Amino acid sequence: MVKRVFERPLSWIERMLFLDFIRGLSITIKHAFRKTITTHYPYEKLTPPKRFRGFFGHKVVDGKEPQPAFDEWVERFKIKVEPGKSRCVVCMLCKRACPVPQLFEIEGEKLPDGRRRVSVFNMNMMLCTFCGFCVDACPVDCLFQSDIHETASYTRRDAVLDLEVLERIGRDWQRRREEEPDRIWIDDHQRQRLWHENHLKLPEVKG
Amino acid sequence: MESVVVWLVVVLIKILVILGIVLGVGAYLTLVERKVAAHIQRRPGPMVVGWHGLLQPLADGLKLLTKEDLFPRYGNRFLYNLALVMALVPATLVFAVVPFGPEFEVFGYKIKPMLTDVNIGLLLVFALGSMAVFAIALAGWASNSKYALIGSMRKAGIVVSYEVVITFAVMGPIILAGTLSTYDIVQRQIEQNLWYMWLQPIAFVVYMFAMLAETGRVPFDIQEAEAELVTGFTVEYGGMKFGLFPLVEWYIEVLSLSAIAVVLFMGGWSPINIPFLGFLDLLFFLGPLSPFVWFILKVSLLFLFVLWLHWTLPRYRIDQITTTAWKVMLPLTFINLVLTAIIAPLIWR
Amino acid sequence: MPWARGEEFIDLKGRFEGLEVEEKPTITSLYIQKERLLELLKILKEEKGYKLFIDHSVVDFPDKKPRFLAFYILYNVDERKRVVVKTWTDGELPSIEKLWFAGKWAERECYDMFGIRYEGHENLVRAFMWETYQHYPLRKDFPLEGYTTEYLPSLNEVLWGDNLQGLMNYDKMHTPVPTLEDLEITEKRRLQKKAQIVLNWGPLHPGTHGTMWFLFDLEGERVYQCDVILGQLHRGVEKLAENEMYNQFLVYTDRMDYLSALCSNQAWVVAVERLLGIEDLVPEKAKYIRTMMSELQRINSHLLWLGTYALDLGALTIFLYAFKEREKLMDIIEGITGTRLTISYTRVGGVRMDLPEGALEVIRAFIKRFPKELKEWETILSRNRIWLRRNVGVGVISKEDVYFYGLTGPVARGSGVPYDMRKLEPYDAYPWVEFDIPVGESGDVYDRYLVRLEEMRQSLRIVEQCVAVLEKLKDAPFFAESPDPKKLKLPLDGIGLKVPEGEIYSSGENPRGELGFYIYSTGGVKPYRVKIRPGSMYNLCVYPKLMKDRVIADAVTILASIDPVVGEIDR
Repeated sequence: MVKRVFERPLSWIERMLFLDFIRGLSITIKHAFRKTITTHYPYEKLTPPKRFRGFFGHKVVDGKEPQPAFDEWVERFKIKVEPGKSRCVVCMLCKRACPVPQLFEIEGEKLPDGRRRVSVFNMNMMLCTFCGFCVDACPVDCLFQSDIHETASYTRRDAVLDLEVLERIGRDWQRRREEEPDRIWIDDHQRQRLWHENHLKLPEVKG
Repeated sequence: MESVVVWLVVVLIKILVILGIVLGVGAYLTLVERKVAAHIQRRPGPMVVGWHGLLQPLADGLKLLTKEDLFPRYGNRFLYNLALVMALVPATLVFAVVPFGPEFEVFGYKIKPMLTDVNIGLLLVFALGSMAVFAIALAGWASNSKYALIGSMRKAGIVVSYEVVITFAVMGPIILAGTLSTYDIVQRQIEQNLWYMWLQPIAFVVYMFAMLAETGRVPFDIQEAEAELVTGFTVEYGGMKFGLFPLVEWYIEVLSLSAIAVVLFMGGWSPINIPFLGFLDLLFFLGPLSPFVWFILKVSLLFLFVLWLHWTLPRYRIDQITTTAWKVMLPLTFINLVLTAIIAPLIWR
Repeated sequence: MPWARGEEFIDLKGRFEGLEVEEKPTITSLYIQKERLLELLKILKEEKGYKLFIDHSVVDFPDKKPRFLAFYILYNVDERKRVVVKTWTDGELPSIEKLWFAGKWAERECYDMFGIRYEGHENLVRAFMWETYQHYPLRKDFPLEGYTTEYLPSLNEVLWGDNLQGLMNYDKMHTPVPTLEDLEITEKRRLQKKAQIVLNWGPLHPGTHGTMWFLFDLEGERVYQCDVILGQLHRGVEKLAENEMYNQFLVYTDRMDYLSALCSNQAWVVAVERLLGIEDLVPEKAKYIRTMMSELQRINSHLLWLGTYALDLGALTIFLYAFKEREKLMDIIEGITGTRLTISYTRVGGVRMDLPEGALEVIRAFIKRFPKELKEWETILSRNRIWLRRNVGVGVISKEDVYFYGLTGPVARGSGVPYDMRKLEPYDAYPWVEFDIPVGESGDVYDRYLVRLEEMRQSLRIVEQCVAVLEKLKDAPFFAESPDPKKLKLPLDGIGLKVPEGEIYSSGENPRGELGFYIYSTGGVKPYRVKIRPGSMYNLCVYPKLMKDRVIADAVTILASIDPVVGEIDR
């Protein structure tokens, strides 16, 4: 239950022959001849795991919406569903779940046929904490976090994601990674740089 | 008349060659250090500028040269700049008495591959070595910064203690050789078929530690101690002025003291020594170049060893360093000196 | 049972008129009038064995008279129970600095945040704000956004003249910022110069591991006296907590002790669950996942400590070695939760997501290799003569000091006090796993180093056991289901989570000491008052004492061995 730890002083032989130094030196020299483990950043990049919480996106309507939740919400708010456009149903739950609700600017508009659709959806990434509560709150699997992590920009304008950008990120995501299995990470060459000494073999990605 | 001109020309060439080698090599040793450190730490080190970062020192130099020259308010500008000169000049001057190889003949002129073979060469080395303390004390004082001041006081304390130690440590080889001329010390070792390392192991170990202390290498790098003093006495310097201090301390001084260590303890340009029997020249195929290569090889091995230590060990505390110097190393060197002085005349000559 | 029973204090009732004992499942409190507070605390400390000071603060009720409810949380280490002493005041309290030094710092904070005056306090200065600041931010009448009186248009200046509107612009009016004069006054109030030079160590200094401002009064290189100015990272987390929903506050726990976000997340979530009384509803799998993740985070945090500690002592290579392993842990945490630093993975009622496939294989691969690496570092450091000389006998903390200064975590354990919340008040899966508490003997820096290394081994043991269990629990639920959704909503996103009236003090074992949350709830979706007990802050309060008569080089050694994180200290 309780484990005592204590100091073990050096013996005289160790002191005289510098055995403590020699032991340390032998380890560092061993490391010097092993493979390096770093990723050479702007030239090589790690693929973020699928769960990565980066910049946001809106998934677009493509027939793979979570049912029956999507139809129920569409009916409830009388949303006009257009393929290739955002799935957003303007329920504002993301804004409610957010610890910094000021970062959202969401508005819906009424179309001539009486149906509604989202017209403004701005997210100010400078205020965002990337906690993912809004994603949890989204009932129709529309808002999600992509693997975009290189987010530096020259102006604050670029840090505000509007509907167009969100949809673009969403389309891109659905094309690239939507189908990926929910794997801790994709075991690529760069990842192996660090992990090869652990002799880790994750099963191959199918498809 | 003619001989004076020739002498002047030869000396000038020597100066240029030595300066070029020392400063150029000094700059490139930064790359060596970075690469060694990187690989010990499982990184590749600089890879972008040139093949495997070969042009990195040039890029670094360019960067340092183009930086703004900052000067602390209320500092003393004269002393601030004087410190730089005081740091650089003595450190490079040491190379005046380092023999790079045996005497050789060009166009009938006998040339010793060292700037000047004064008969008090070693005295000069350690006299110049103690000049370093001025540079550091001045740098710390003129910067008008508490961190710089503490750093320079620490370093001054170390240099003062270890100058004594290092001087006593080299007494052993000097007694064995019976001369202070660096060239002659090497000659004696070759004649006697013996590196003095074998007879003076204590002096050698103490010398190595003192060398680390004088050059501010781990485990004695307390004047830098980036965790507590940021970078110690160089904290108020900027640009190339900042670059110069580590260049001098960490590279040129390590190089010069390694060279002196090789001269004193490892038989200078001689090949591998089997005590009392002879030398084993594995580089015989290089012909007349082999002594030079041996010398460079030994110096670089020592340098690499210093790097290896640097990137393995933690650092001591200032009081522990000076305590070790005065209470352990100095008595050890005394004993070594006395024993050598008693035994050497009896059985040596 | 972590709380003292009411019967225990019956004998005190005779001695103290007006002493009221209140026993609830989540808290046991003693109410006393403030005139006799000191007396009661003294008796509790000396006769009843409540030696360890945990926390002190006040709760503000602007409508009541007297206005402030002060509470003192004490712990009895031998009998493993806690008690809260409460008293009502209108702004004045006796100082407890003679009983517990840690109380002095807590009182400074109270003075800073609520404007409570303490009689007999040696040097009542503000803890986080600068000395000339006018307001008391944690009072209920202080607005959340502060008093915006300073005109700061420069924040909105842009390089290429973009016309930024709406969301993209900052407010032109800001809360006041300290001027240089303010800072000078603050500095002067802290330390009266007595020796040769005052060295400003920080606020931005590589040795302070964050933004702490140390003042060393130096005699040569010897520290004559020392003080700390905190608050450079103060963000008013406790104020924010009063204005966020229970789940949303999770985000701020990430940013307190940013090196062990998962542990802080867990501590908060467990506190809320205990307050709700739904600890048993949380599925087994979620508990195991939380435990495993927070142990991984503990290793992660200790690795960062080891790396920076070695770096401070000049062994630069260990830093990179530790970071190599840390990077693997970061990969694991990133793969499972999606982020590397500010994690917000746990939720009231479970965890955010199930483990992804491959997670357990990766963790197993990691724990197979890690002990070998640990051994290598130990070979380089533990018995190196330089390491021994720098560490042994430096910064000795005695057992009495642990209680007097309210120390917890590895700092307390290094001094031989087996104070570990995971054993004393087990939460989540800790009662079901086996592990030892490492304790040191002499309480010096070296012992704390050994304790932390051993803790990493023990954490590995825990992770190993968790992995074994989780492998069998592949398809089990990872989030609690409310038995009665009408009464108690338990959503993943935290919308509509209502907490009944009540109060609780609950703590988790963070890598840096006990992280406690005192939650006072008046019902509803937001807490009325949250007092965070930051382990780092109370651990740091012993620092000026340890630094007396040591040299500057020991400053980094001792500071790194205490291992504070400024985000948690300042909050």
